[in-house]
Amino acid sequence: MDDQACPRCKTTKYRNPSLKLMVNVCGHALCESCVDLLFLKGSGSCPECNVPLRRSNFRVQLFEDSMVEKEIDIRKRILKDFNKKEEDFTTLREYNDYLEDIESIIYNLVNNIDIINTNKRIDQYKKDNKELILKNKAKIGREELELEEILEIEKQMEDIRRAEVLRVEQETKKQKIREKEALIDELMFAEGDAKEILNTFSQNLASRQEEIVPILPKVTQFSSGVKFSRGSGQQGLPIIEEGPLYKYEPLAIPDRCGPDPPSLQDIVNNGYLKHVRAETETEKTGGYSSTLPCLRALQDALTGLYHSS
Amino acid sequence: MFSTSSQRKFWTFSDESELASQREKHNLEFISRHGQHLDEHQRYNYFLSPEEERQLLKQYELHLKEFCKRFQPPMPKGVIGTAFHYFKRFYLYNSSMDYHPKEILATCVYLACKVEEFNVSIGQFVANIKGDREKATDIILNNELLLMQQLNYYLTIHNPFRPVEGFLIDIKTRCTLSNPERLRSGIDEFLEKVFLTDACLLYAPSQIALAAVLHAASKEQENLDSYVTDMLFRDAGPDKLAILIEAVRKIRSMVKMVESPARERVRVVEKKLDRCRNQENNPDSEIYKRRMREALDEDDVQYTGTSRMSLDTSGVTQVLSPSAS
Repeated sequence: MDDQACPRCKTTKYRNPSLKLMVNVCGHALCESCVDLLFLKGSGSCPECNVPLRRSNFRVQLFEDSMVEKEIDIRKRILKDFNKKEEDFTTLREYNDYLEDIESIIYNLVNNIDIINTNKRIDQYKKDNKELILKNKAKIGREELELEEILEIEKQMEDIRRAEVLRVEQETKKQKIREKEALIDELMFAEGDAKEILNTFSQNLASRQEEIVPILPKVTQFSSGVKFSRGSGQQGLPIIEEGPLYKYEPLAIPDRCGPDPPSLQDIVNNGYLKHVRAETETEKTGGYSSTLPCLRALQDALTGLYHSS
Repeated sequence: MFSTSSQRKFWTFSDESELASQREKHNLEFISRHGQHLDEHQRYNYFLSPEEERQLLKQYELHLKEFCKRFQPPMPKGVIGTAFHYFKRFYLYNSSMDYHPKEILATCVYLACKVEEFNVSIGQFVANIKGDREKATDIILNNELLLMQQLNYYLTIHNPFRPVEGFLIDIKTRCTLSNPERLRSGIDEFLEKVFLTDACLLYAPSQIALAAVLHAASKEQENLDSYVTDMLFRDAGPDKLAILIEAVRKIRSMVKMVESPARERVRVVEKKLDRCRNQENNPDSEIYKRRMREALDEDDVQYTGTSRMSLDTSGVTQVLSPSAS
């Protein structure tokens, strides 16, 4: 890949990493900027073989060997006309000869051998088999149509299925509302015990729910015939064994060695807070309140008063 | 809380005689270690007596107070109280002949700043010290670990300042005393003097705080006795009240007895100390310098494995100054 180079401007992949080589039907490569330059008008001739080319026929070179690209182009063009099927021949031998003919024509065209004669052969063939070519073209078209039809049918089936699911959902919703209304009516007008009515209704509901098992047609195949299914990885989560729950027990208050300080409640209620600096708005936002520091000062004052050596 | 603290458990002693005997013990230990070549009579001519050590340390406590007062930026009271505690605790288990109080004083204040979350860098700190600041930096940092070890890493100190606030809040709330704020100057004065006594090694901070409050009240011709008996001790037995009354009386009398030591005497003692101090711990001595060099040359691992790691407070005899590392 590294030695890819444009034959005209000699730019290489190494010097311009974004270099893109393009080819046209003649199979000679040109870099993108050269294409832009030479085919400004939309058409021109190949700088190497002078074959007239159209700009719109340029495409990115897929294969390193430009001969391969040329062959692909030619093969596409030839096979458009040489479109006979095996059924069109009486023996296998004839069909094989026909295939070999195609290959030799393509080979000649690619390698510029006897081009005039080969072209004549093609024209001859076209004239001889005009009807068959047309017929086969139509046939290919029909086959494609059939495939499209299958896809269409599949799509319709899918739509029907979705509508069915939607309908069932709405139905159950309506059903629920209806049941609720019936229950309220019953409660409003019936004579019996409200609890009993509730019980019977919930029982009815449970039994009916068991009945409803949605039957939905399941699609298990793509139109291509490939089966699909959900991944089988539906294993339950491992169950973690847990010990007994943590139970909070308040800390034991150590011996204060002094009179008991007032509780937080007392501090708020008994006016201690009047004598401490109140917290500012900023401090309050941070979660600070002056109650705790007040308690701490009182606690420190009282603890150790009974201390004796 | 003080009642469950290490301060109560390990650093509050029963009476003054216990403190005195502890100090005497370390004085004698030092002398017997370093003065074997001298006979009984000559010993006290050369070394400091326990009495002289006391005088010296009292003088240095005054220095400590002055140093803290002049400190820039001004430090909160808690730092001063904590530094005093450290200083007193250190010399309960060490002789001033072993470690010069001048050096330990600065280290105590530096450590107290850290513990009380008063943030000063060592550079800022030594800016408050006159003389060779680089040397002071070395001394403080070298002694910091030693000090912590000698304190047995009990660094939390319960000072009487918060209890004072608590009492004032309580008095304002529950008493009819008019304008309790006027007690403050008396309280501050009292607490300043308390730290020059041994009260903080003998009594609970709340007892000291209450003594301060009561003292300040009596100076203002107020009487808070009913507050103590009817409010604080309403639910406690009379025996507890008796203990408290005795404690307050004792603290007040200790504060009353505070007097600064005679200048002349202290000067003589200091001269004596310069001669008899342990040269191994004197940063100016040859022996100390040689040791530091050796310690630096030595393998670090080997060095940390020496007696420095032992945690025995009472029996630490040969403690190297922590290296500059």
